[in-house]
Amino acid sequence: MGEVLLKPKNDVLQGTLALLILKTLARGEMHGYGITLHIQRVSSDVLRVEEGSLYPALHRMEQDGWISAEWGMSENNRRARYYRLTATGRKQLAEEEKNWARLTEAVASVLQFAQ
Amino acid sequence: MSLLSRFKGLLRINHLERELDDELRSHIEMRTQDNLASGMSPDEARYDALRRFGNSTLMKEETRAMDIIGWIETTGQNLRYAARMLRRSPGFTLVAVLTLALGIGANVAIFTVVHAVLLQPLPFPHPEQLVRVYDDIRTSNTHDVGMSVPELWDLRDHSGVFQDISVLFPADANLTGGDHPERIEFLGTSPNYFTLLGARPQLGRVFSAADAQPGFTLGVVISDAFWHRTFGADPQVLGRKIRVDNDLYSIVGVMPPGFRHPGRTLGGDVDMWAAAGYSAAPFPTPVIRAARFLPGAMGRLKPGLTLAQAQAQLDSFVAQLARQFPDEYPAAAGWSLRLVPTQEDIVGNLRTELFVLFAAVAFVLLIACVNLANLLLARSASRRREIAIRLAVGAGRSRLVAQLLTESLLLATISGAAALLTVIWLKSSLLRFAPADLPRLNEVTLNPSVLLFAFCISILTGVFFGLAPALQTARAGQIIALREGSHGAGSSKHQLKFSRFLVASEIALSLVLLIGAGLLLRSFWHLLEVRPGFEPHHLVTAKIWLAVPNDPLEDPYRLPEKRAAFHQEILRRVSALPGVEQAALGNAASLPMDARHFQLPFAIENRALDSESTPVAEIASVAPTYFSVLKTPLISGRFFADSDDTKGQQVALIDETLARRYWPGSDAVGQRLRLGIRRNQASASQSPWLTIVGVVANIKSDGFDAASAPHIYRPLYQVPTYDGVVYLRTASDPGTLGEAVRAEVQRVDPTIPVFSVRSMDFVLATYLAERRFALNLIAVFATVALLLASIGIYGVMAYTFSRRTNEIGIRIAMGAQRTDILKIAFAEGAFLVGSGVLAGLLGSLALTRFLQSMLFDVKPSDPTTFAAIAALLAAVTLVACFIPARRATRVDPLIALRHE
Repeated sequence: MGEVLLKPKNDVLQGTLALLILKTLARGEMHGYGITLHIQRVSSDVLRVEEGSLYPALHRMEQDGWISAEWGMSENNRRARYYRLTATGRKQLAEEEKNWARLTEAVASVLQFAQ
Repeated sequence: MSLLSRFKGLLRINHLERELDDELRSHIEMRTQDNLASGMSPDEARYDALRRFGNSTLMKEETRAMDIIGWIETTGQNLRYAARMLRRSPGFTLVAVLTLALGIGANVAIFTVVHAVLLQPLPFPHPEQLVRVYDDIRTSNTHDVGMSVPELWDLRDHSGVFQDISVLFPADANLTGGDHPERIEFLGTSPNYFTLLGARPQLGRVFSAADAQPGFTLGVVISDAFWHRTFGADPQVLGRKIRVDNDLYSIVGVMPPGFRHPGRTLGGDVDMWAAAGYSAAPFPTPVIRAARFLPGAMGRLKPGLTLAQAQAQLDSFVAQLARQFPDEYPAAAGWSLRLVPTQEDIVGNLRTELFVLFAAVAFVLLIACVNLANLLLARSASRRREIAIRLAVGAGRSRLVAQLLTESLLLATISGAAALLTVIWLKSSLLRFAPADLPRLNEVTLNPSVLLFAFCISILTGVFFGLAPALQTARAGQIIALREGSHGAGSSKHQLKFSRFLVASEIALSLVLLIGAGLLLRSFWHLLEVRPGFEPHHLVTAKIWLAVPNDPLEDPYRLPEKRAAFHQEILRRVSALPGVEQAALGNAASLPMDARHFQLPFAIENRALDSESTPVAEIASVAPTYFSVLKTPLISGRFFADSDDTKGQQVALIDETLARRYWPGSDAVGQRLRLGIRRNQASASQSPWLTIVGVVANIKSDGFDAASAPHIYRPLYQVPTYDGVVYLRTASDPGTLGEAVRAEVQRVDPTIPVFSVRSMDFVLATYLAERRFALNLIAVFATVALLLASIGIYGVMAYTFSRRTNEIGIRIAMGAQRTDILKIAFAEGAFLVGSGVLAGLLGSLALTRFLQSMLFDVKPSDPTTFAAIAALLAAVTLVACFIPARRATRVDPLIALRHE
């Protein structure tokens, strides 16, 4: 299996990227680079968030009030912007998780039927 | 994203830019470090970190697009692009701007008037406290019967409702001492009138409590216009003496140009204000409660009192007075006091008229919008390729909608600006079309509210006509466009459906306007058919007025016989003028189509006072020749004779309405009635019984559209009045005749002015012109609407058939006849027109009742008008859809088949 690039140009994956970011941040605050690493690692290198898509997505989510950001120091003492879920973001995450579950279920049943 | 956070973004923009740079740098550094840790060379590590960002400028831009700066940049691009697109199709742009400018301009123009007349508060402090006080006799449904002096005092001192209350006594007066006597508009007030309004003079002073007198104060305040007209704006005018109705007054103050009496006057703007206590000569003394000679009053409510509260307090006060003075306020009469906000009082019936006009122009604008929306839809078909390409290279759908919307907004803004400039430019000529009696016309200005209105309506218009087509286009343009867009023919079914819906609604809107215009037109026809009860052609009238000095002893016409002799002498002289067939005289109330008609209660001999309704009639005094000069026929009995004078038997004539109402089926001649009602039959001030000597045909004295009020006529020589109207049956020109009458009158008494010389034809024409104002405007708007709707349906049908050229070609090739094709066209057109007309009829049914007060002898749901107008609209619109259909049938099948 190759790599799947998450680019927001793609309608389906745009929603997915937001879901992945929200889910990642649900564990606690994290900087942008950390988010890419986490997604890549957890998906066993299948999903790779492109940096060019990550930051626009983060900023949009910040404007929408799903996440908030603050400057802090990274593990290796580097200045980095840390993102954190807001209450709205938590609700949004629950919503998107539900949607995703429904979508995958639907796709799965179509696939099963086709067999 | 909310606009607020965008603006926040704008404020933080520099900061944000720096933060973004910092953040990205930090990201790249972290990645580089990790790459180094996984064993890459430093150069490789750095390159990989950068490479992953791809085009970092592009990404930064996309990130920034979330912020206001991006929004502004995008809008700027959209605007430039929109401007380019509009320039590229000048024909479309011109049509669109003209249509919209017409709609927006009409709205702005009407709004300017509505704002000045209805919305703008009166130019006085706390205008909401100002009220007009009306006395009504409820049981006979008689309004505005006037007020007595004791009532005024009660209201001032005991009602607890008013801070201040002032009499309003509109009159006209003779100004003598100039080249020739002049008639001026005069307003009798109380000394507190100006302080009540909170108005200040530009010169001198206004009245104060110190001026209070039982009779008239000797100092008067004049208007700015009068100051300019008569005194050449002389700054030394204060203290100047003027002789008004033979009394000498001195000028104590001049009001500023913007000051206008907030209420109705007799003939025009007030020239002169004089204060009085109304309890000494020239007013009737002693003051009695039953003498309601004060025409009315204006008050300022106590602060914090709402109109409803004040009215409630006043009602209980009235009830208390009625208990206290059962003689003066019999329960049968149902005397009551009514408060009307001054702002409403001034405008009166015109409120409806203005709102109807406003609604009409709003409709025109709506139709223009719908038409334009359709035009844009059709155009979008030809722009489909462009849009498809932009979508294909990655333009977002929202960006595309924003782009298309920017185009409509730009169009609307240009049109709004054009409309505003036109209105500013044409303001004075437009105002000339307004009826002269429109109050507060002097306050019509282009102020910030008007500008704001123009701006808002332009933006709204732009969104209204642009949004739907933009959404449609962006949606339709997705996939199919690139394939079929090349011939501009393929438009989705959905889009066609939508544009048909637009046309149907356009037809519906036009129908509502047309039906409104139709109803007004029918009213006007009915009005023209009304027989006024007199012959208006070749009838010239002129008014005269004997002065009423404040001191009765100085009045040369104090005795009725003197006045009667004067009238007789005037009549003798004007009858002998060359060109005059016959002449007559009457008092001011005898002049038909004039504003000065009052209904007074009367009692019939041997008939119990009806507790439900007191009989009322308009009372006029006329000379014996009056009815023959007016050519009003006698029904029974006799006309007045010269012998009906102060020494003769007290007599009266009544009109048919009154005779039918109170003596149905029997002869009224010989019966007796008397003016005024009084419970106490023994009262000394009881007016005499009048014997009815004849019945005459009805004269429409209050205008053609007013219900026929009953009339009682008295002989002028028996009750000679101070006011008079000269009637001349003549074919001569009123101008030259007026001079001749003036010369004759002033040969009898040089201090008496002759004024308002008019031919009755002119009076009627003016009267009809006022009625025609709204009709004309609405007719113009309705015609524009019809035109727009026809263009709309033509456009859609033409478009439909151009799409179906291919199909029609096949049909014809297969042997279909032209009539078959036309039948298809008819079916389609008929469906469109039919649904539009149906919706329009329903809409009209719901809306025309607001026209009620402007209609005459026509029901708001008049079936004839509805049917005729609907048929007219259907016919016109069906013709508009046949033209393209016929063209389609003429197509050569071979060409049509090749047409993809």
